Amino acid sequence: MTKDVKVKAPKKRKFASLDKRKARGGWLFVLPFVIGFVLVYLPIVIDSIKYSFYQIKVITGGGYQLIPVGWANYKVALLEDPNYVQTLLTGLQSLALDIPMILIFSLFMAVLLNQKMAGRAVFRAIFFIPVILSTGIMESIEAQNVLSGYMEEASGIEDGSGQSAASEIVSTMDIEKMFQGMAVGEGLVTYVSSAINNIYNIVNRSGVQMLIFLAGLQSISPAIYESVQIDGATAWETFWKITFPMISPMILVNAVYTIIDSFTTDSNKVMTFIAKTYQEANGNVLSSAMAWMYFLIVILIIAAFAGIFSAFVFYQRRD
Amino acid sequence: MNAQNVDNKPKVQKETKNKIKVEFDRTPLKERLKAKFLSLFFLKKVVWFVFRLVLLVGISYIVLFPFFTKIAGSFMAPEDFVDVTVRLIPKHFTLDMYKAIWTELNYFKAFTNTLLLSASTAIIQTFVCCFVAYGLAKFKFKGNKFVFLAVIFSLVIPHQTLQLSLFMNFRYFDILGIFQFLHGGGINLFGKTITNEFLSSINIFPETWEKFTTEGIVLTNTYWPLIILSLCGLAFKNGLYIFMLRQFFRGVPDELEESAYIDGSGIIKTFITIILPLSVPMMITVFLFAFSWQWTDDFYTNLFFTTTKTLLMPKIVDIPTSLTTDYAGQNLYYSAIRNTCGIMIIAPLVVVYLFCQKYLVQGIERSGLTAD
Repeated sequence: MTKDVKVKAPKKRKFASLDKRKARGGWLFVLPFVIGFVLVYLPIVIDSIKYSFYQIKVITGGGYQLIPVGWANYKVALLEDPNYVQTLLTGLQSLALDIPMILIFSLFMAVLLNQKMAGRAVFRAIFFIPVILSTGIMESIEAQNVLSGYMEEASGIEDGSGQSAASEIVSTMDIEKMFQGMAVGEGLVTYVSSAINNIYNIVNRSGVQMLIFLAGLQSISPAIYESVQIDGATAWETFWKITFPMISPMILVNAVYTIIDSFTTDSNKVMTFIAKTYQEANGNVLSSAMAWMYFLIVILIIAAFAGIFSAFVFYQRRD
Repeated sequence: MNAQNVDNKPKVQKETKNKIKVEFDRTPLKERLKAKFLSLFFLKKVVWFVFRLVLLVGISYIVLFPFFTKIAGSFMAPEDFVDVTVRLIPKHFTLDMYKAIWTELNYFKAFTNTLLLSASTAIIQTFVCCFVAYGLAKFKFKGNKFVFLAVIFSLVIPHQTLQLSLFMNFRYFDILGIFQFLHGGGINLFGKTITNEFLSSINIFPETWEKFTTEGIVLTNTYWPLIILSLCGLAFKNGLYIFMLRQFFRGVPDELEESAYIDGSGIIKTFITIILPLSVPMMITVFLFAFSWQWTDDFYTNLFFTTTKTLLMPKIVDIPTSLTTDYAGQNLYYSAIRNTCGIMIIAPLVVVYLFCQKYLVQGIERSGLTAD
């Protein structure tokens, strides 16, 4: 009997178990990425960090030479460059103001576009136009566009101040009046009115977020809504007690995505500043140092944000 | 008891052989309408409906208005820009701008070049991201989490940060010094000319391959940097695609593959014959993103294409020489010309979008995207 077992055992080893085969298959599938990451991407990242500690000298007749300069690039960027720190601070400030606005807007629009109504497909198609069409070169064309503002004036009445009524969708005065009785700070008033006047920008930048929120909303089981409805919850309660907790993981994902996205777009002031430095730089690698400092700051923001927010995220247990 | 029942019973009359007429005892129409339309519930519904419609139409207007102005401006003659009475509808209708952009800025060449680049990179990215995402979603192997972290890492670091070293690495492209070795060590065996001939014979793209230097191959001004990045799933926003597809594949029930394995299908075959057909809407979504983001991209185009030999879409934004002018409305006119360039750049994308947009939401909806 024992002999039989011994004979059979090696036979079994010829075939790898399904788990092992699957593990091998998994590596096969991710292989292109792993190869690319190790052989192409990592050298690029490491080089980029390395360059920020060097000075590049272009040799006449082709080629270049690297001269190590230590922390000099960082010192120049932080202490000597008159504009970098200023741009960085204002850039981060506008980031902090824009992100909540984009998140709130995209969640609101996703909830709206998720409701059953006539023409929903058309509205969805229109709302996703900016994701597809208003990127890259279109963004930089738009930045130089004076025509749009000129044509918009047609609908407004010239009041002689040079600024027509239509260039602001909502006047700050109106909002101030509205908020007067509510005893909220002046900061909030200017924030809301600037957000409304900035709506084009916000709509343009919240396309992917809307998609992700829509997908999240679709994945909430209708049975839950049905049961709260039977229990007599209002739409307001349903949103805060059901939709909001269920969508909270998507809020985290979207917040991180928005931070990443908005600090790499062409319209970001810090990014344009770094790009300008890259073009101007005559052999020095100031732009690399600046970009890495900026990146580190943003990574810290993301980490802090994700750390704090993930405590409040609700995960539905699935079995 | 019985009498009441008889009273409330619907009256059934036979009209013809196959038709019956049923008469219910109903509350009068007036009462019914009153109950339906004069309730608070209905009022709330109407108010919400109007509010929602106004909001949606308003925001749609905000999204579409810039495109209207661009289209309106593109048909205007220079005179219209100094005429105060002309705003959205041109008085002197002309196609000059389109003609000038088509002929002087070489639109068609830019179109074919960009189409080749965008289509090839988008198709490669779609399939590579599917592959990687499937591997991450459905297989448990050591290092799975690590690879996923690497994907997120590649998404988080913006390529603008890596600008300089991206350029440097593809300026003299070399993996582990292989090309350097080939160049230095290989010459004696194969001869330099042979290597060059071989490389130029596989040159399927319009630009140069002959710059085979000691430091590696010069890949700038070719499509190769972008194709190599796409092949590895490292191109623009590929981390996002992998993330989306991974969530989608996790929602696909395991039983599908298990039954295929039991029937004797291999892992790759199962993926191609079972999983890929399932994920077509999702793949179209990813393709649409990859295609259109590459189409309008100006970061990589400016970075890798330093000469004007390979004309790509973002490079045609310029003022055609025949339209140069220095009269009063110059600012507006030049802005209109740039906008017209923009329209011509995105015109093919609009066509693609019209075909693909229904998959955009459908694909995402089916993904059951969750963040866990």
